[in-house]
Amino acid sequence: MVAVCVAPTDLRPEVDDLTGTVRSDLRRADLPAAEAAALEYGLRIAEEWGGWVLVACCGSAAADDLLREARALGAEVVRVGTAPSPTAGPLGPLGPLGPHPVAPGDLAGHPAATAAALAGAIRGHGQPALVLCGDRSGGAGVGAVPAFLAAELGLGQSLGLVSVRTEGVGRLVVERRLDGGWRERLAITGPAVLSVEGAGVRLRRAGLDAVLESAGAPFDVRSPNGSQTPPGEPVAGGMHTSASRPYRPRTRPVPAPTGDAHERLLALTGALSDREPARVVGPLTAAEAADELLAYLARRGYTT
Amino acid sequence: MTDEQQAPDPPVFDAVVVGAGPAGASAALALARAGRSVVMVERGPFPGAKNVYGGVVYGRVLDEVIPHWWEQVPVQRWVVRRSTMILTDTQAVTLDVRSQAWGAQPYNGMTVFRADFDSWLAQHAIDAGARLLTSTVATGLLRDGSGRICGVRTDRPGGDLRARVVIACDGVNSFLAKEAGLLPRADATHMTLGAKEVLALPAGVIEERFGLGPHEGLDIEAVGGTAGVPGGGFLYTNRDSVSVGVVVSLNGLAASGRRPEDLIASFKAHPGIASYLKGAEVKEYSAHLIPEGGYSTMPELATDGLLVAGDAAAMTLAAGIWLEGVNFAIGAGLEAGRAAATAIGTGDVSAAGLSGYRRALEASFVLRDHKRLRLAPDLVLSDRMQQQYTKVLCDIAEDLFTVTNPQPKPGLVRIMRRVLRRHRVRWRDLARDGLDTARTFR
Repeated sequence: MVAVCVAPTDLRPEVDDLTGTVRSDLRRADLPAAEAAALEYGLRIAEEWGGWVLVACCGSAAADDLLREARALGAEVVRVGTAPSPTAGPLGPLGPLGPHPVAPGDLAGHPAATAAALAGAIRGHGQPALVLCGDRSGGAGVGAVPAFLAAELGLGQSLGLVSVRTEGVGRLVVERRLDGGWRERLAITGPAVLSVEGAGVRLRRAGLDAVLESAGAPFDVRSPNGSQTPPGEPVAGGMHTSASRPYRPRTRPVPAPTGDAHERLLALTGALSDREPARVVGPLTAAEAADELLAYLARRGYTT
Repeated sequence: MTDEQQAPDPPVFDAVVVGAGPAGASAALALARAGRSVVMVERGPFPGAKNVYGGVVYGRVLDEVIPHWWEQVPVQRWVVRRSTMILTDTQAVTLDVRSQAWGAQPYNGMTVFRADFDSWLAQHAIDAGARLLTSTVATGLLRDGSGRICGVRTDRPGGDLRARVVIACDGVNSFLAKEAGLLPRADATHMTLGAKEVLALPAGVIEERFGLGPHEGLDIEAVGGTAGVPGGGFLYTNRDSVSVGVVVSLNGLAASGRRPEDLIASFKAHPGIASYLKGAEVKEYSAHLIPEGGYSTMPELATDGLLVAGDAAAMTLAAGIWLEGVNFAIGAGLEAGRAAATAIGTGDVSAAGLSGYRRALEASFVLRDHKRLRLAPDLVLSDRMQQQYTKVLCDIAEDLFTVTNPQPKPGLVRIMRRVLRRHRVRWRDLARDGLDTARTFR
């Protein structure tokens, strides 16, 4: 089982300029890019390992539609949290689709408790071969949950990964950023908690039939207290660094230029070629900036 | 056995409703209540996520289908003040109507946030048994071997959705109605652009500034005030914000070279409006096309396997003093849903089988109002009405109330003569337009 932990969040909350109060509307909740990447990695790994994906979420029922979308992608789903009570405004209740409070669940803002609840929910479905998280949640998250989760599950951890690929069943090669533009490559052969950056992969869309099938279907919902279990014993897992060096993107072979030395030099440097030099056009008003952008696109043939 | 033989048949619904706005949700509600299987296909992440409107929702159309709707609708404020303003650059003539009866059951109009209202209405359809498919775009129509429409294509993998009837409630400039050959090529003459800002203001300030009680709201509709571009403006109160914007002729806007946000700024800066907005902070900006052509620009409403409702069928009523859209969309959606349910029951979903839709609309306020007021859109957006009569009316009012003692008061007829001469309006044109106005609004 590959477990993927998600926390759907309103990615564009309103912030009061004066008070700093954050107002979220969980109808707009979506997976942050990092969690979408984690889910896509989870699905790919499960396909290659012949396993299955468990999506674990700590939040309110407002996230259910998104969880059903994950279910339509073939994942099992468990949510830890309580159903939100409809907000009763001065003019009456807004109903189940009305605005919800900021916190997606009782545990929001408490990474240790969130991790404990998620760990319990995951264990309730079996022992994970791998746990994937986003490197940070979309709300006020600081990226602490994966580390707490590793401690709860007794697994090794590798956080902030920029790429994850399989090398046979049960074996992964992952890469993460280090300070100073360095990258570290690790080989992972045992159960581990990984957190990934929101880059490199794009979450697939669920098929129509699967979406229709999963719409309205019930799934496992647990209370935060009921899902907590004692921290697990450390699991011996293979995780070792195979390389640590400055990041150097692979070179891209291009055909060698032809002609005499002068022509080859011009081709290699781009000198004297017809091009539009970079220029500073600001500061501009919004309207002027829009004009500038549109004119640029028109010149480049994008709007014709 | 081939792959094709192994593939399971796609699900077949009684109806697919494209768009979960007011028209779509109402159609789905009617179908679900008639016991039909129906799925709403909504491109946004939730109903109302993509919608924009510019005024008041009149909810009485819901009386039959959601008893005591006012007890649960996600209202911002109940409109008890309705002001109609005629604006020039420096003048304003206002007809201000206030009724406390509008602030009590069964209420008249309300301001809402469409994200709340559309979700609420769609939830009623879901509760009745309809299914909702969000974040899914209907990209085209499916046709069977005989060319009859039998579903829609979507942008999801394996995205064919088969149904006996498709109801296109996909909004202005409906791609589905166009694909079906019902909607002619879009004509900018019959479109206006609505652009609005939502500005934050504390509820207490709104109530003090606009003379309102708690939960009470104001709706201002203005002709003019749009920097010479044919159209008008609006301002309405939400719970702790006001929505202010303009609705302008698309051709007029293009000819002027102005930007919509300039026109909003111009409207907000009008002396008759500016003081209402002091200290308000912009929270949101949105814009949308409005099909204001009315009755004469409506497409055919039904063809084999397809009905069209709401903005997709140009059902927004823009008749000067009446600017309504959501209630017409709901009314049309309900009738579309009922007609589709009946046609499915009889097994005849051809254009003839679905013709009950048009008959029902003609018997209801939807087409009766549109038919009666069919001359209004052209009249309201005519040059004389927009450019000359606003100035004439404001000048007459100004002269009437300007005291020039020691000279005696000039008398109304003399003022009118003077003002008409000043603006080069001929009595003959005035009489003809007066007659047209009387005929339009009789």
